[in-house]
Amino acid sequence: MKQKPKIAFCWLSSCGGCEESIVDLSETLLAAAEAAEILFWPVALDYRYEDLEKLEDQELDAAFINGSVRMDDQEELAHLFRKKSKRIFAHGTCAHLGGVVGLANLFPGKEGLNEAYLRAPTVSNPDSILPKTRCEEGGETLALPGFHPAVKALHQVIDVEYSIPGCPPTPELVEEAILGLLEKRLPSRGSVLAEKKALCHTCPLNRTKPERIQAQRFYRIYEKIWDPNRCFLDQGLICLGPSTRGGCKARCIQANFPCRGCFGPLEKVRDQGAATLSFLASLMHAATPEEIEMIADSIPDPAGLFYRYSLPSSRIHQSRFEENP
Amino acid sequence: MKSFEPVIIAFLCNWCSYEGADSAGRSRKELPPNVKPIRVMCSGRVDPEFVLESFQKGADGVLILGCHPGSCHYREGNIQTLRRYLLIQNMLPQLGIRRDRLMLDWVSSGESDKFAAILDRMTCRIKTVGPLPGPTGNLK
Amino acid sequence: MEETRKPDRRPERIGVFLCGCGPNISEAVDLLKIAAFAETLPEVVCVESVPLLCADAGKEILKARISKDKLSRIVVAACSPKEHEHTFRQVLRDAEMNPFLLQMANIREQCAWVITDKEAATRQAKTLIRAAASRVRHHEPLEPKSIESSPDVLVVGAGIAGISAALTLARGDRKVYLVEISPCIGGKAARHEDLFPSLECASCVLSPKFDELLHNSQIELLLLSRVKEVLGYFGNFTVTIDRQARYVDEAGCIGCAACIDVCPVKALNEYNEGLDRRRAIYIPYPGALPNAAVIDPRHCLRFQGEDCTRCRDACPMSLIRYDETDTTRTLQVGAILLAVGFDLFDVENAPRYAYGRIPEVYTSLEFERLANASGPTQGKLQQKTGDSPGRIALIACVGSRTTAHHTYCSAVCCTYLMKFIHYILKKLPEARIFLFHSDLCLPGREAQQIGSKFSSDKRVAFLRMKTPEAISIHEKEGKIAIRYMDLLERSHDVLCDMAILAPAMEASKSAPDTAKQMGILQEKGGFFSKEHPIIAPVSTTFQGIYAAGCAREPGTIEQAVAQGEASAGRILSSLIPGIRLPLEAESAHVDEDLCSGCRLCRNGCIYRAITYDSEKGTALVNEVLCKGCGVCAALCPSRAIHARHFSDEAILSEISSLTCTEEKEH
Repeated sequence: MKQKPKIAFCWLSSCGGCEESIVDLSETLLAAAEAAEILFWPVALDYRYEDLEKLEDQELDAAFINGSVRMDDQEELAHLFRKKSKRIFAHGTCAHLGGVVGLANLFPGKEGLNEAYLRAPTVSNPDSILPKTRCEEGGETLALPGFHPAVKALHQVIDVEYSIPGCPPTPELVEEAILGLLEKRLPSRGSVLAEKKALCHTCPLNRTKPERIQAQRFYRIYEKIWDPNRCFLDQGLICLGPSTRGGCKARCIQANFPCRGCFGPLEKVRDQGAATLSFLASLMHAATPEEIEMIADSIPDPAGLFYRYSLPSSRIHQSRFEENP
Repeated sequence: MKSFEPVIIAFLCNWCSYEGADSAGRSRKELPPNVKPIRVMCSGRVDPEFVLESFQKGADGVLILGCHPGSCHYREGNIQTLRRYLLIQNMLPQLGIRRDRLMLDWVSSGESDKFAAILDRMTCRIKTVGPLPGPTGNLK
Repeated sequence: MEETRKPDRRPERIGVFLCGCGPNISEAVDLLKIAAFAETLPEVVCVESVPLLCADAGKEILKARISKDKLSRIVVAACSPKEHEHTFRQVLRDAEMNPFLLQMANIREQCAWVITDKEAATRQAKTLIRAAASRVRHHEPLEPKSIESSPDVLVVGAGIAGISAALTLARGDRKVYLVEISPCIGGKAARHEDLFPSLECASCVLSPKFDELLHNSQIELLLLSRVKEVLGYFGNFTVTIDRQARYVDEAGCIGCAACIDVCPVKALNEYNEGLDRRRAIYIPYPGALPNAAVIDPRHCLRFQGEDCTRCRDACPMSLIRYDETDTTRTLQVGAILLAVGFDLFDVENAPRYAYGRIPEVYTSLEFERLANASGPTQGKLQQKTGDSPGRIALIACVGSRTTAHHTYCSAVCCTYLMKFIHYILKKLPEARIFLFHSDLCLPGREAQQIGSKFSSDKRVAFLRMKTPEAISIHEKEGKIAIRYMDLLERSHDVLCDMAILAPAMEASKSAPDTAKQMGILQEKGGFFSKEHPIIAPVSTTFQGIYAAGCAREPGTIEQAVAQGEASAGRILSSLIPGIRLPLEAESAHVDEDLCSGCRLCRNGCIYRAITYDSEKGTALVNEVLCKGCGVCAALCPSRAIHARHFSDEAILSEISSLTCTEEKEH
């Protein structure tokens, strides 16, 4: 009898949205569960770390891992998966690029803990106690996983064969990845399983873009009523469509919302933020430093906007902090 | 203790600033060896990614030198550069990098004195602010 | 299928050649140490020090080692690439190697000459050589390309500049399409009486040129026509021309005027500056070429719905064609010359001159017609009442040299005012002339001499105003009262019978549309921008489009002729039948597989070199127009645009190499 492929699903530093994208497969999921043997899926069923440890090396045909890596246990789990699985799928933007949680890298490592445990307005912590990896309590030793100074994408911790982009990925992309595995028609290793071209290529508003866009300033979403039938860039609203991989079916655009870049940069681009910055600069209708500065200043948080989903895997992948930047 | 010798990448446009550099050479100006030149046809070729890559790879400063506004060989390539430059300047502090580690200026082919002065000033400035700290996270 | 992609690149065989440049480099750095270092660099298989690489002996060594060591990439560490890159590229060509597989490390201007400490200079030289050896691995062999082109030329405007260009081109055996919006050739100069500075009769000077034009089979004259659309680029323009119907068989008409005499309609005659009336079927002015009638459908009764056939009935040769329609045609040309002329500043915008309010205030072009034998008065200088003017005022700088209108000098007004003095003294020897000016501008050999002659003539008063605007005109007892302020700010009044203004010259009213259509820039006054004001004066900002005559700036007829001929020369020497146009090798290229068709690259290209293929949904670089600046490559958010020879890979490898210095390593 032909052996069924063995697969696993797991989450690391994740919001759970990517797990939703698996559940959203509905019938396909049932078919997949029929065609493959799911050996590990902690979100859905009661699996333990030991269950994974017990597997033979390379026993899994594929592991679909979502979420970025910020804690010791996540890193350990990632390495264990690498040992047990023939293929690793970085599932969703956090695993693929670091994701929106990667914006934490705009602040020095310890600042995250300080913010969450000391400064947040809803926190009362008079003794300024911060989580420790180890402490003694009533004669017992308690342990917590350690907190890394920066968020990493999965490929920065272990080798990854395939990436499924999206925050979360569309069910169609997840389905295509699973079927590709079952039907043995996966593309070459290292591929990102989405479109090769930027969102503009399939964007329904691309044809409304004029020959030249000349922005007097950029607007934030709340500042105007947006025409849903006209290219957002031409309306002065920053849209990351030109610098973002397509494959999302322009879901945000069709909801009258500009692209925020969750599918990440194009194949030949390492740095989505720099690519975004460069094309936005060319839209500025100004030639003197004063005029240009005025337009530049209409973008209050450039790094947060340009790198919303991809900061950990950008050129400056983990910030290098100076005292007075 | 050995003094800090910064590394500064300088992008020079073929028509004005590279000529300015050559004319500084011909008039035997003393230039700081900290500055490492890269020739591009127009300062407008300088992709913001090149600037970030330079910092990532360990440069302590980056200089972009182009033709004076109005005398760009390609008419307004240098204005594209100016727009990118001012936008990067707004972003650098967010990435934890001081603004003064990146500088844009205009040098014509005859301005050998200005070229030498810019190199000296930039080197001096970076020596004062010190090396750019390394990445805070450990990568694979 | 599911395999790991492995880059299978054959290792390069890099040769590094160090030039001592006499003592220039050899004494300032330690070449032995540098050579030893170069040998350790990846893929370097040969290192050679040569005392003077650019000398014949040095070039021979380079050439010999290329073939002996089967080198695939070359690094030359020597002087600035601006000095000898072309020299060493030629050596590569001679060695049958692609010239673009060379990279120079500038260890003279950037090390030997600028770093006195020998050790530091040596270290810097090593760093630059390592970066060059790293970069050169990413070089691609580039082939200089060329395209076929059309040698035919479109000239827009059949004034003296356009005619001069067309004739020069035709003598060079080129097909020329000469497009003119009016029904006749010659432009404004043909309607002058005499020409400056020789003061010869204009039609005597110009007619031979006009005749040659009309009989030249290489020149296709398209009258009553205008350019509707221009597509394409240097060597390959596609131009659409709209031609308005003449309603008269142009080729057959002999200009007998039988049709004109019977026409019942009268309309203002624009060819006499509106000073008299013409019929609805007319010949613009006596002597207008071609000598053929034309029907103006705006005035002709037939076109207003009446059943008039008087002109058709009168034509002895049955050449009237009421059913003729407007037509459109498409031309293929390699270059375009714009000779669309100028218009005068509209003086009604400057009320101080009372133009339009006082009948005896004329513009210079109106006065040319008054003085012209074929004009409304057959050349008799007379007032509208028929009286002969006894006192005539000439006023310079009307709308020129003032912040209120145009700040520039219109360049030719002072000289043609001298010509007007000549007209007046010739025709009315008893008249008194008052010339109001604030600075006389009479450059060149001839103008000053003529000016000096008149300034000593008792009949002519040269009155200097404090500024061009220190003057105003009023009516006083049926005469013209001119009040002006002199240099000492004293006010004076002069009474005259007639006043002639010299209004500023502006770009033709059609210039903004033309500029937009052609994709070129305009300067102050609307004139077309030059590619370079000193060294490329007759080419515009778009390659293959030239401008001559007053379309580019105010100037003399002589200059218009010279510029027309200069443009023709540029075209004749660059568009040669049968010879392909060479293109920039270091141009940009779009990878269709990566391009999303976002079209933002077009925002960065001033050369209009990027087009959009709406069928494929991708951008396309036109290699004829691309100048290789690389702005689009840096701008493309998909990195789908590849800047040849300055690729991302090449520059990123230089960055990696230059940031990894010995200082850092220690």
